[in-house]
Amino acid sequence: MMSVSAKNLVFGYSSTPVIRDVSFQVDKGEFISILGPNGSGKSTLLKTINGLYIPSSGRIELMGENIERYKRRDIARRISLVPQDTSLQFEFTVEEVVTMGRHPFKGRFEKEDERDRKLIYEAMEMTNTFDIRDRLITEISGGERQRVYIAKALAQNTEIILLDEPTSHLDINHQIDILNLLRRMNQEKGITIILVIHDINLATRFSDRILLLKKGSIISQGTPEDVITTENILNAYGMRAAVERNRYTGHISVIPLEVNKRIRSELNIKVHVISGGGSGQDLINVLYHRGYQLSLGVLNAGDTDWQYARSLKIPLSEEKPFSAISDRAAKKNREMLAVADLVIMTNVPIGGGNLRNLKMAWESLENGKKVYYLEDRDYDEFDYTGGEATALLERMIENGLIVVDSMEQLLRAIS
Amino acid sequence: MKGKIRIKSYGFTMLVLFVLLILMIGITSTIGSASISPIDVYKVVLSKVPLIGDVLGTDTITPAQHSIIWSVRLPRVLLGVIVGAGLSISGASFQGLLKNPMADPYILGISSGAALGAAIAIILKLETAFIGFSGISIMAFVGALIAVTLVYNIGRIRSQVPVTTLLLAGVAVGQFLTAITSLLMVMYNRDMTKIIYWTLGSLAGKGWNPITTMSIPIIAAMVILLFFSRDINIMLTGEESAKSLGVNVERIKVYILLLGTFITSMAVSVSGIIGFVGLIIPHIVRLIVGPDHRILLPASAIVGSIFMVFTDTIARTVISPMEIPVGIITAIFGGPFFIYLLRSKKKAL
Repeated sequence: MMSVSAKNLVFGYSSTPVIRDVSFQVDKGEFISILGPNGSGKSTLLKTINGLYIPSSGRIELMGENIERYKRRDIARRISLVPQDTSLQFEFTVEEVVTMGRHPFKGRFEKEDERDRKLIYEAMEMTNTFDIRDRLITEISGGERQRVYIAKALAQNTEIILLDEPTSHLDINHQIDILNLLRRMNQEKGITIILVIHDINLATRFSDRILLLKKGSIISQGTPEDVITTENILNAYGMRAAVERNRYTGHISVIPLEVNKRIRSELNIKVHVISGGGSGQDLINVLYHRGYQLSLGVLNAGDTDWQYARSLKIPLSEEKPFSAISDRAAKKNREMLAVADLVIMTNVPIGGGNLRNLKMAWESLENGKKVYYLEDRDYDEFDYTGGEATALLERMIENGLIVVDSMEQLLRAIS
Repeated sequence: MKGKIRIKSYGFTMLVLFVLLILMIGITSTIGSASISPIDVYKVVLSKVPLIGDVLGTDTITPAQHSIIWSVRLPRVLLGVIVGAGLSISGASFQGLLKNPMADPYILGISSGAALGAAIAIILKLETAFIGFSGISIMAFVGALIAVTLVYNIGRIRSQVPVTTLLLAGVAVGQFLTAITSLLMVMYNRDMTKIIYWTLGSLAGKGWNPITTMSIPIIAAMVILLFFSRDINIMLTGEESAKSLGVNVERIKVYILLLGTFITSMAVSVSGIIGFVGLIIPHIVRLIVGPDHRILLPASAIVGSIFMVFTDTIARTVISPMEIPVGIITAIFGGPFFIYLLRSKKKAL
C-alpha cells in the first residue's frame, strides 16, 4: 500500500531549484534512506515530504491526496519528524518532551488521558528512555536526547516517521543503537521510516530502499545493491570507491578510495592484472595511483573488480556475467598481455570459468615475462577445478613465478 | 542538578501565589505616613461589594483613613498589580517565543517607541485627555505600537518572521528611536527632567481611572495569551519540529507578538518604562516551576504583581515624602539578581 509519494516535485525560488523533478513512491512499512552529498537537497526533500515546505511545482501525496490539502494538525497525526537539531535550552524533563508528541491529538486545555499516558510510556520503554524520564533534557547526552526525540515521534503514533540525520553527531555505538531501534520500530510496529543519512554503509545495512540524490535530482533509487555501485558513487560524490559485500554483515559496503580530482604522475611501465571478485581492488587502486599503466582481464562484467576498473577507465578484456572465458575475450587478453611489461595475478579462486586466466598467465611466464602472484587474501579454497589449477600453479612456481604475500613486498619487487 | 525542587501541582502553586498577592496588597496598602491596619484595607475593599458591604462593620475606620485607602493607596497598589502582571507575562511569552533568555517585553522596540511618543507629547505639551488618559499616555501608546509595527515589518521575510531577524530589527529600531529621543532632549533641555522621569517609570498619582479602563483589556489579553501556552512549549523545540507537531507556528507567533505588545504598550503608556520586571520575574519563576508555559505564564503574572507592588512600596516610602521612580528600584533589585543568574549559568556550563 502506498503511503507517501512525490510527483515531479520541484522546490526552490531561484533559477537553480533545490529539488528538481523528483518522483518516488514509498509503501507502507518500508525503510527508506535518502543519501547524497552535502547540498544535494536531502533535508529539503524530507521537509517537503512533511509539508513544511511548499513545492514550487509538483506535489507530495499522502495516502493518495495532495498534502497541501491537509491541515497541519492532520499531517501531524500521520507523519512525525525527528529534526536534525535536537538541542533545547529550556529545562523540560524527558517525559515532558515525550508528552509533546501527543499535542496534535489534544485540545487547547485538554489533559493527557489514559490512552495518551499509555502511548507515552510505551514510547519511552521502547526507546529505553523510561529510566531517565525525570531527568532534564538539558542534562542528558546527545545519544539519549536523540532517543528522547524518537520517543516523542513514537508517542505521536504516526504511520510515518521522518528523521533528519539522526546519527550525525553520535558515537559509532550510538549510531548502531539508534538504527537498530528504528529497525525494530519498523518491523514490530510496521512504521514507515524515511531518513536522511550521511553514512552510506549504515544506509545499505538498514534500508529496504535508497534514494540517491545529486544536486536536487534522484540519480538512482532502488535496493542498496542497485543504488550503491561504483558508478553511482562516482557520479554523486565525485569519488572513486570500492563497493563490496561486507563479510561480517553481508550488506553492500563502500570503501572510499580517492577523490576524482587527484592528479597522478604517469609511469612508463605497463602492468597487466589478473584478478576477480574484488581480489584486485586494492592492487588496482595502489598501482593506478602510483602511475602504472594498467590493463585487466579477463573479468566478468559486473564483477567488483570490473566495476572498479571501469570507474578508473582502465582498459580491460571482459566476458559476459557468470560465463566462462570465451575465445574472443581470451584473444583480447593475450593482446594486452603481449604488450605488458609485467603481469600480476591475485590469489582469486580458480574454477572452470576462469581457469583460462591462469593458463594465460602460464603462457606469459613461458614467453619470458615476469609474473607475480599476490597471495594476500584469505580464501577457504583456491582450487575449484579438481586439482588442475593447483598443479598448474605448482609448475609455474617451479618455472619462476614470483610469489609475494603482501602489497608492500609486491611494490618493492616491481619498483 | 539533582534534588532540584520542581513544583508540579498547578492548583497548589497558583493558590499559594494568589494568597501571597492578597497579603501583599493588604500589607503594602498600610505602609506609609498615615498608619492603617491591614484588616482595615480588606474591610474597605469588601465594603464596596454589594451585600457583603452591608453586614460589614466599618465604624472603626475614620473617613480620612477610608479616603487614603480607597483613593490613594489602593488604586496605586492595584495599578502595580496590573502593570507587574502584564510586564511579566509578556516577558515570559517573549522569552519563550524568541527562545532567548535576554528577551524582555521591550525587546521589540516598545520602550523606545513609547519614550519617543511621550517625549513628543511632553515637548508639545499635549495635555488633552482622552477617555481618561493623558496626552502623554496616548502618545506613548501610539509610539510603542508604531515601533513594533516597524520592527515586525523589517524583520519579516515574505510571510515568515524569523526570530533572529526580528530580534536584530528590534535592537536596531530601538537604538534609532532612542537616539531621536536623546536628540529631542538635547534640543528641548527644559523638558529633559520630565522626560527622564517619565522613562524611569512611576505608578504615582494615577488614581482609579487607568485601572478601570485598562484592567479589562489587559486581563483579557493575558487570558488569551494563556490559550497559547502549550504551543509556546512546543515551539521551544524548534519551529520545524513544532510545525511537524501540528502547531501553526507563524500564526501563533503573530498572535503572541500582538498580545504581548498590546499588554506592554498599555502598561508602559500609564506607568512609563519600568525595567527588569519583565526580564527577571520569568527567570525566577522558571527556576521554581520549570519551563512549562501553562504554569509559567500565570505564575509569572502573579509573582510579577507581588514584585511590582513590593518595589513600588519601597519607591514611595524609602526617602518619604520624596518619591524614587520605581524603575530605579526594580533595576537596583533586578540588576544584582541578573548578575547572580548569569554567574550561576556560567557555573553550569
